[in-house]
Amino acid sequence: MSTKYVGEKVTKVDACKKVTGEAKYTEDLVNDFSDLLHIRVLRTPHPHAYLREINLEPAREVAGVVEVFTAADFPELKEFGLIIKDQPVLVGIDQKMRYLGDALALVVAETDAAALQGRDRIELEIEELEVVDNPLRSMEQGCIQIHEDHEIEVTHYLDPEMCCDNILSDNYLDKGDVEKGFAEADLIVEREYQTQFVEQLPLQVEKGIADYDEESGEIIIWAASQWLHDTQADIAQAMGISKDKIRIKQPVIGGAFGKKEDISVHIHLALAARELKRPVQLIYNREESMIAQSKRHPQIIRHKTGVSSEGKLTAWQTKMIMDTGAYASSGPAVVRNAMFHCTGPYQVPNVRAACYAVYTNNTYCGAMRGFGATQMAFAYDSQMDVIARELEIDPADFRMRNAYQPGSTTPGGEKLELGVNVRETIARARRLSGWQEGDNNA
Amino acid sequence: MKITFTINNEERSLEVSSHQRLLDIIRKDLGLTAAKEGCGKGECGACTVLFNGEPVASCLVLAPQADGAEILTVEGLLSREGELHPLQQAFLDAGAVQCGFCIPGSIMTGYRLLQDNPEPEREEVCQALAGNICRCTGYQKIVDAIQLAARRMQAGGDSS
Repeated sequence: MSTKYVGEKVTKVDACKKVTGEAKYTEDLVNDFSDLLHIRVLRTPHPHAYLREINLEPAREVAGVVEVFTAADFPELKEFGLIIKDQPVLVGIDQKMRYLGDALALVVAETDAAALQGRDRIELEIEELEVVDNPLRSMEQGCIQIHEDHEIEVTHYLDPEMCCDNILSDNYLDKGDVEKGFAEADLIVEREYQTQFVEQLPLQVEKGIADYDEESGEIIIWAASQWLHDTQADIAQAMGISKDKIRIKQPVIGGAFGKKEDISVHIHLALAARELKRPVQLIYNREESMIAQSKRHPQIIRHKTGVSSEGKLTAWQTKMIMDTGAYASSGPAVVRNAMFHCTGPYQVPNVRAACYAVYTNNTYCGAMRGFGATQMAFAYDSQMDVIARELEIDPADFRMRNAYQPGSTTPGGEKLELGVNVRETIARARRLSGWQEGDNNA
Repeated sequence: MKITFTINNEERSLEVSSHQRLLDIIRKDLGLTAAKEGCGKGECGACTVLFNGEPVASCLVLAPQADGAEILTVEGLLSREGELHPLQQAFLDAGAVQCGFCIPGSIMTGYRLLQDNPEPEREEVCQALAGNICRCTGYQKIVDAIQLAARRMQAGGDSS
């Protein structure tokens, strides 16, 4: 193995252009186009409603507005999404809007001011439905179904008692015998933890430019993406065209942190560029980015933990309900990742977990650093603190007694062999933080 | 209205409208795209430039206010021979650059700090950077970079 660069400082290849200001982010490329059109997206006025009528005439009358597109212009459009294709490019007449970020119309104009003015003049008629803003309500019998027009694949372990209409994905795991583990415990602690929506907030919001090459029929898109080829494939399948007609030229990205895994400006740009045969730009502002694009999933986490009087974990049972918002995005993968981290870096012989990703009318949730494990970390380490206090054991010492070592098995049954360094991490954290209590027990 | 100002030691005249922002004329009319728009509300500091010697959020300055002003952006820090300013070099050497979106603003804040305070304490650098958000959270190395530049500039006597 080459060790030429290991342990050496290496300057990032693009760092120099970033300190001189020469690095070109998407918005820095707009000056390269002399005839750029501007898109503004009309988003929904209500998080759960049917679109019954849309009047575009007032927008078309605005000087400078070139075209206004709706779903009616693109009957061939399909839905998109990272794992499940459940998100509409544009909500059509008699279709449902499911959160405040769904797009109803694209206003394309010679100037941004005209596009904005046009957007704000569009008239709508909607039929409002119950807004489901809480995943617990979503799981109640009789709750309105958010995706009744989609075939959502819930897994095969369904609990017959539970209303599954709004469950995007359910996941279960069993390791050892959790009932036996609780029977062996001297103390059982049950607690519920909740986490909130978190915005990834990359400094650069979603922005893009697209152009159409009439000769080759190629659509060229300049926009950030964290999944270049997935984004290309998703745009192509949504538009019903071949992947080789979509060329993404990725400029420098001003941060993403998971938020730019999902499609944002891409399909809207591609449609407008192809239809108008002119370069177009779509530049979100901060508010639009926060309303339209993904968040970190809020989770309701219930841990029931059994422990012996010597401070050894004997059983761990977790139920987690995760608000995935209006669309699936990365939800099915995030909920699974969270579940397999339910006991953190602690060895537990008997584990049972049931975790659910549930649709609501909140902003959809997707990837953010840690991908579900971060929420779980807050809950399992809070649980460890609660137990340590009940047992009157030093919390660092309690963690040491249960921390993984080579040969430990995870809740998923994976045997850990290499890179198991949680004990060193705890010891170092104890030293660096100046934690004194219980040092003699270490 | 027509305004005249100096930017990066060059005098420029522009026809601007009353609602345009300084950031817009720098980025669009002059094509100097180092300063970035992160929030448009003066919170994030990505658009920081020196305006009559003081760091400002250029998204909160109206273009007409720039009449007669002296403006400095990151593009103006290179030497005439095209060499990096010690601050720019220190940001490279300290590994302070990640996504890079905040860097032009952070460098301008650091530049202004070192004019007044050529040997800032760590806490003083943090205070100066209070208006520059780095969402990659690379603050430690940005502070390292500014202190490294300060030491080099003191040693080399170059504070231009």
